[in-house]
Amino acid sequence: MDKRVTGSERFTGHGPEWRDSNLSSEDARIATSWVEQKIDKRSMLTNKDRVEDVRDIMWQLEKDGEIVVHRVADEHEPMMVKTLYGWDKKIPTKRLWHHKSCGQCGNIPGYPASLLWLMNRLDVEYLDETDQTSCTAWNYHGSGIGNIESLAAVFLRNFHQAYVAARAQGLPDAYYYPLVHCGTSFGNYKEVRSYLLHSAKLRERVTQILGKLGRLVDGKLLIPEEVVHYSEWLHVMRTRIAAIQEIDCGNIRATIHPACHVYKMVPEDAIYDDNINDGNRLANSTGIMQALGAQVIDYSTWYDCCGFGFRHIISEREFTRSFAIDRKIKVAVEEARADVMIGHDTGCITTLDKNQWIGKAAGKPVELPILADCQFAALVCGAHPYKIVQSHWHASPTETLMEKLGIDWQAKKAEFVAYLDQVKAGKQENLYDPRRMRTSGPGFIPIAKLP
Amino acid sequence: MSHATGSRVQQHIGDPLSAEPALPLTKLEEIFKDIQSDLRFDHELNGCLNCGICTATCPAAHYYDFSPREIVQLLWTENLEGIYDAMQEKIWACAQCYTCAARCPFGNSPGGLVMLMRETAIKHGMQSAKNVLRPFSRVMLKLISTGNQLSPDMINRDHFADWGPNISKIEAPLKLLRQAIPMPTLNTTATAWEVNLKTSVELYTIWEETGVLKQLETVDENLFDVISDIMDEKREDWKDFLADQEDEKDEKDD
Repeated sequence: MDKRVTGSERFTGHGPEWRDSNLSSEDARIATSWVEQKIDKRSMLTNKDRVEDVRDIMWQLEKDGEIVVHRVADEHEPMMVKTLYGWDKKIPTKRLWHHKSCGQCGNIPGYPASLLWLMNRLDVEYLDETDQTSCTAWNYHGSGIGNIESLAAVFLRNFHQAYVAARAQGLPDAYYYPLVHCGTSFGNYKEVRSYLLHSAKLRERVTQILGKLGRLVDGKLLIPEEVVHYSEWLHVMRTRIAAIQEIDCGNIRATIHPACHVYKMVPEDAIYDDNINDGNRLANSTGIMQALGAQVIDYSTWYDCCGFGFRHIISEREFTRSFAIDRKIKVAVEEARADVMIGHDTGCITTLDKNQWIGKAAGKPVELPILADCQFAALVCGAHPYKIVQSHWHASPTETLMEKLGIDWQAKKAEFVAYLDQVKAGKQENLYDPRRMRTSGPGFIPIAKLP
Repeated sequence: MSHATGSRVQQHIGDPLSAEPALPLTKLEEIFKDIQSDLRFDHELNGCLNCGICTATCPAAHYYDFSPREIVQLLWTENLEGIYDAMQEKIWACAQCYTCAARCPFGNSPGGLVMLMRETAIKHGMQSAKNVLRPFSRVMLKLISTGNQLSPDMINRDHFADWGPNISKIEAPLKLLRQAIPMPTLNTTATAWEVNLKTSVELYTIWEETGVLKQLETVDENLFDVISDIMDEKREDWKDFLADQEDEKDEKDD
């Protein structure tokens, strides 16, 4: 009998011609087992007819005098990694311009704070400034308000600012290299860079706009040699980070949530390492967790998205929370008996962290601490769980993870509450000199060269 | 009978229109041409064998009447009525994860095609787009007026009751908690970070030059008015700042 007629089954997604095959569980397993064998393999992503490295177009355009390339220079002390097709990608390790994430800064501030704290510990020079917008792609993917020209213009404006930002400190252009915090910004910028390199019409259009803003270099568009995500920096720095580790995490069972916009958008640019996940999955996050000595445990829905959906997390949260609980949290808890789920993107951390409490109402009382890779790394390197990791903004039970790591979170929390009085008196501790954060406009005080 | 049209499928297999289409053929063609003319269209659509791997891995297909395979098929076969129908509701189900694109053996990006259809739905002022985006207006206001999508003051228990009582595990005023973040750029409540006034003014130029404000006006005229007022104010502030700078320079020169 067609179950749809009785309304007893809520069927969606496959069109009115669909009929239940009524396979037995065993037959269904056999029928789909080939998918499971392929789905975990790198070949799933590489099995394409047309693949190109857009950087070849980029170098040619620069040679033709059409664009200027912002290079990852020796001064940025780059480290080389391999991407999906075995191509090289340069990851700058110092002199970094932080391109912040609106979602991280807005509701998971311990995410960027942990990253900057790690950089301080490793003596990495950086700039965190106010002259930047978000990439605007969260809004674009959620609403459709925006277009390829606006995305391209925002990308080029922000990256131009990274190029010239050091002038405020009396330093030369190209001193800092942009480091993108958000996974969606990272995916979006790479996609937009590709369209810019392919389309003369788009270049012409945005050159007019960037010209009006005074954001051209020698009258030309400035294109970054590499678009670099912070998780890539963390990945290449993993051995150095492990060297300053203070807390053993060998007893921690960690699951990894690879972010869609980090490795499914422009997949050819994502990092793969034959020594991490046998080269079959993205190396980011798994690499640092293994370097720190945690147990990285697999789970069957690793490839699923988190359920964020861009618009959905704001106005269709039934979808977001159902997907987050059923396809991610519940699976990681039941299959992997995970102590923590580690991610490397804004929306994923927000979605997975915030959508657990409501599970109780649906008879799915799952609990799993959620942290970004850099927060976990900072935590085991001795960062304060509240002052730096800012774990109080996390709705998920990060306390259980801290207990397993041997951190007395109650004492640390009490320290932080006491510290708030100091903050009230205007004596907060900062990760950098606040005078650095304005590079122009109201409030900017020219400083020839900060120490 | 075949209509005079540039549509590839219609030239070869005839007119797929039903007896009573929702819109006149010319309007349906106009909508399709707007999608097709985007420079990304040929990159995102390369052919389709109907294998369905996109739908099999699609999170939205678990919960909605949505199939990326169907979206690709409608566009590939240039099914004008089907495209229009999908733009009423289905395209808004997509979670934009791009799992479909990563998996497609043809290199299609159903998620990318959905974005072209969403942009076109907005351009044509479709009521469905207006309805879907109404609850998203707070986010659009924030993003377009400040350049930040999300701000700390948006995350509270009234707006996100389903996130439970632990939105912040320390009871203290938001302003104080934000001051306690050791990054001075983040000591804010109305934006995710302090945004330089010059940055906002530059962003407004981008919005104007790229037609984003026009899109906004089409879907929500009231929101457009509010944002226009904010933009005017900030531009005035920037002019005042520049004038002050000039005055200071003149004083120094004297």
